[in-house]
Amino acid sequence: MNQTVDIKELNERIKQESSFVDLLTIEMNKVIVGQKHLVESLLTGLLSDGHILLEGVPGLAKTLAINTLASIVDAKFSRIQFTPDLLPADLLGTMIYSQKNEEFVVKKGPLFTNFVLADEINRAPAKVQSALLEAMQERQVTIGDKTYKLPEPFLVLATQNPIEQEGTYPLPEAQVDRFMLKVVISYPQKNEEQEIIRHNLAQTFPKASTILKPDDIIRARKVVKDVYMDEKIEKYIVDIVFSTRFPENYKLEKYKDMISYGASPRASISLAMASKAYAFIKRRGYVIPEDVRAVCHDVMRHRIGLSYEAEANNITSEEIISEILNTVEVP
Amino acid sequence: MTGKKLLNAKILPALLLMFIFPAIHIAQNVTVSAKLDSTLMVIGGQMDFTIEISQPDNIQLAFPNISDTITKNIEVVRESRPDTTHLDNQRLAITKRYRITSFDSGLHYIPPLRFEYMEGELARRAETQSSALLVVNPFTEVDPSKGFFDIKLPFNLPFLLSELWRFKYWILSILIIGLLAYFGYYFYKKREIPVKEIFFPTKPKEPPHIMALKSLDKIKSEKLWQSGQVKSYYSQLTDTLRRYMEDRYNFPAMEQTTGEIMSALKYQELPDKNLFHKMETVLSTADLAKFAKYEPLPDENDNCLISAYFFVNQTKEEPVPTREALEKELKEASSEDKQEERD
Repeated sequence: MNQTVDIKELNERIKQESSFVDLLTIEMNKVIVGQKHLVESLLTGLLSDGHILLEGVPGLAKTLAINTLASIVDAKFSRIQFTPDLLPADLLGTMIYSQKNEEFVVKKGPLFTNFVLADEINRAPAKVQSALLEAMQERQVTIGDKTYKLPEPFLVLATQNPIEQEGTYPLPEAQVDRFMLKVVISYPQKNEEQEIIRHNLAQTFPKASTILKPDDIIRARKVVKDVYMDEKIEKYIVDIVFSTRFPENYKLEKYKDMISYGASPRASISLAMASKAYAFIKRRGYVIPEDVRAVCHDVMRHRIGLSYEAEANNITSEEIISEILNTVEVP
Repeated sequence: MTGKKLLNAKILPALLLMFIFPAIHIAQNVTVSAKLDSTLMVIGGQMDFTIEISQPDNIQLAFPNISDTITKNIEVVRESRPDTTHLDNQRLAITKRYRITSFDSGLHYIPPLRFEYMEGELARRAETQSSALLVVNPFTEVDPSKGFFDIKLPFNLPFLLSELWRFKYWILSILIIGLLAYFGYYFYKKREIPVKEIFFPTKPKEPPHIMALKSLDKIKSEKLWQSGQVKSYYSQLTDTLRRYMEDRYNFPAMEQTTGEIMSALKYQELPDKNLFHKMETVLSTADLAKFAKYEPLPDENDNCLISAYFFVNQTKEEPVPTREALEKELKEASSEDKQEERD
């Protein structure tokens, strides 16, 4: 094969750098039974430097998954339970008067960590949500008159419970858009559930080994950015995003009145980044349409606004995305 | 008193006097007269009441204001516009007609009509003679003591076809439209080709393999990879194959990735197992060329095109012969047999 030098080099680098992916997946699978998609999405988010919003009923191993990931990466982990009386200072930290030193000293909050699990994010009021989302966007926190950088890698996993909506503060569209992926977690399969029972009854909970350092992740992120994306793939991504804004131009007239607003340019960026990360996970130095399709649902599902008409007809964003993928021509 | 008795006893002498001395009034050089078409009218009938004026052309004469009645028993149906004629001796003859009617029987008095005008500084007046109109009731008066009677039924006149003659053009038009509509509907129902096809005939679609082979010939003749356009070569090649698979096997190959296409092909009955692997090689090589800057060797490029030709030729659907074609073939065969027997 007479392959061009850049791609050949890149493929070699990716093969080297992504060697940890298989190990990481094996370690994750030791602890988490099933939930292959969740593990893949966590990796995609971790490698593409994007935050993840998890939606699923309680008891689906959301907390365990991120806890395991933190232990595999040898990173710090915080879990914050969002409640209606939570204050921004409870997250970011505050200044406390030290009697010993006779001055105000900074007490950093639980946000100063590598992996944050914001459990039930929609139970806290808007001011707390926006404090977290600002930290997610800027990667820094200001306490008093000093700005502190957050540690790298910094990954926020927020969870939402889709069934209990009473007394919640739903995240506004602008804030939801800042999550790169919205992963919907489903129930495990029958055989997986059997295995979960066995583990629990025998009280034999396997432990994941630490195989990575935070620096490895930072280095891998740099390689992910170098994954080659052809112009045809870029056009394919743009077509997918544009079809949510102008469905009538893509033979999707039936969804014209169902979509109140389409995906933002941030969706295009996230789709491209997540596709690159997915290609990296699959140990490829270039993106193919399969990669785009694999991450499309997670990237787009929270970025399409549904109209009242869609809600009345029980049309979900999942259906719209599937139809888009079945209609937009693959390059 | 009935109309007839009234006519004989009192009214007749008065009417005779009126005819002998017509209602003319001459005021110096202005003459006005009023006359009825007849002095006798049946109740509800109509006749003209005519006013004639002769006057110098330099005088402005004001007509009396007659709106809808002349007297309380005589009604005006309509009035004509004044008809003015210029005479040679600088005079004008003006005539105006009122169509009148009355619904009250009896002798009705019509008072003189007054016309006012200015003669120099003096105001003058001209008058017509008074006249009378006898309105008679031709029907016998109803006597309630004789009992009540039903309202008369309408007359039932026999229908004659000749009455329709005046509507001949309408009837003819309706018949023609009806016939056209019937024949239009008949031909619409009995048509073998859609109406749209009659006006905008579409070219019959070629079978998928013919289109694919044509497209592959075009790719071959364009010599794309030879001129360094490897990406375009593989894009056209895969597009041709995907379009062929979409038409041939009815799955949306144009909207599917290589993996999805291969999964769909698994469920198709391919005549040769090698075809599946050949297609997998072509599509994955094309993916590398399209998305990974991969430049295959010349042999690979040629092999991909050969595999594409092979796939299309091996999987092409033979057209099912039509009934007409089969009958024709059978006829030809039997005629050949007969010919052989004769020989």
